[in-house]
Amino acid sequence: MKRYLILEDGKVFPGEGFGSSAITTGQLVVSNNRTGIEQSVTDPDAEGQIMAFTIPGVGSSGINRDYYESINSQCKGVVIGSSISETVDGSIPFEEWVGSLEIPGIKGVDIRALSRYIHDNGEMKASIMDTHDQHAIDQIKALVLPPDLVKQVSTKQSYPNPNIGTKMVIVDLGLKYSILRQLSYRDCNSVIVNYNASPEEIANLNPDGIIFSNGPGDPNDLTQTIKNIKVLQKEFPVLGIGLGSLLIAIANDCKITRLTHPHHESSLAVKEVASGKIDFVNHNHSYTIDQKSIGSSDFIVTNICVSDGSIEGIRHEYLPIMSVLFEPEAAPGPTDGYYVFDEFIDLIDSINHQDWSR
Amino acid sequence: MAKEIIDGQTMTRALTRITYEIIERNKGIEDLVLVGIKTRGVFVAHRIESRLKQLENISIPVAELDITPYRDDKDDQHDTGDVKASPLDFDITNKHVILTDDVLYTGRTIRAAMDALMSSGRPKKISLAVLVDRGHRELPIRADFVGKNIPTSQREKIRVFMKEIDGEDKVEIE
Repeated sequence: MKRYLILEDGKVFPGEGFGSSAITTGQLVVSNNRTGIEQSVTDPDAEGQIMAFTIPGVGSSGINRDYYESINSQCKGVVIGSSISETVDGSIPFEEWVGSLEIPGIKGVDIRALSRYIHDNGEMKASIMDTHDQHAIDQIKALVLPPDLVKQVSTKQSYPNPNIGTKMVIVDLGLKYSILRQLSYRDCNSVIVNYNASPEEIANLNPDGIIFSNGPGDPNDLTQTIKNIKVLQKEFPVLGIGLGSLLIAIANDCKITRLTHPHHESSLAVKEVASGKIDFVNHNHSYTIDQKSIGSSDFIVTNICVSDGSIEGIRHEYLPIMSVLFEPEAAPGPTDGYYVFDEFIDLIDSINHQDWSR
Repeated sequence: MAKEIIDGQTMTRALTRITYEIIERNKGIEDLVLVGIKTRGVFVAHRIESRLKQLENISIPVAELDITPYRDDKDDQHDTGDVKASPLDFDITNKHVILTDDVLYTGRTIRAAMDALMSSGRPKKISLAVLVDRGHRELPIRADFVGKNIPTSQREKIRVFMKEIDGEDKVEIE
């Protein structure tokens, strides 16, 4: 069935529909991920997003349903050039899988033209529709994306992920399960709470450290969470990942800007400033921290992106606050970033050790 | 049988963390001086210095300290009694000295290092950063910055390898 990807400025890309036949709208995100498509589609960061995958032959590496990053996919639509129906491992074909999640898809799109268009014109809203008349274009222009994306994906009730080690509270802004997997691997005794959980509620859980997770949407919308961070960061060691790190930056009077070329790629080089070490890590963010505002703050820049020089990690000079914009839990992508979790646990241990020895 | 307990990556990470902790606890690093105890402590000092430079854009002085004449366990026959020579080539008076060494064990090396420092000036403060703390202190000394605490028995040996002299970064126990 012929369908159309319509961008908010009226640009139309024709293609063929697959998956759900519903009409869908969302923020169009162009991703250069080569593998781990199932992880990107089930990532809660994809809430409200239509994802375009630029690789040819999507699904050739198979769909592994053990690699989900949430129970239900929040992705609003999938755009591809072509897919491969026979997978190397005999797993479910990509298009059939998208259908089983009831996500609308469109294939046969000139994906290189689309990618360049977004690269030149910036990220925009888009819609997958059956027609591309003026009415359809007017509709997408008038569309206002919901500002409460985090509310949609954050857990309503606290739940535990019990273990025997360091006690962590994870503030769920759109938590990827791989963060919990990495914490479980390090024996962390975790409790996951709603994004607006009060500082008292979190303090009552007596955590050794608090993690503000990744998540979708505009960080400036989350005013209550930012207020909570201001209180909590004085009492507890804090780690921010993705959206969480942007909120920490805002809570400490740093400015947030949109990246000219957003980072949506599972393997992008990041340099650790102190040691000069290069890590290839998964990125999924459209915002960054303004370089100038960091200069006047109490933060030092710990990681930068090699390709565009944007800030990828910060650390407070006096308080135990560390923060990375990339996704250290990988999923998808290389696992170079895992050390961030070790570093946070080391930070907690060194504080506990200090208290004990003084 | 020697067993590797810290690999190159973990050592790099430990040194980076020590650097962050030095920044965190000092509120400005202008007064700092790094003094490495020969041999591997000097490399530890240089690695911390290069990290501080990358992060804060400030170059802080690094000195090497040879504590041989100050040791209390050296052979009496070779004891010349000449311990007055100043081992440092700059003034440490009113500076915050961070002593660095690879392994903290009995604490006798550190005591000797402090004697050597005191004989060449009056530092405002002396802190200690070590890559490995293996326990079994014989003096009331502890490290302010520890890369890794490794509980050991006294029969075991800890060997630190560093790229600058050994060609690779690792710590072995045997």
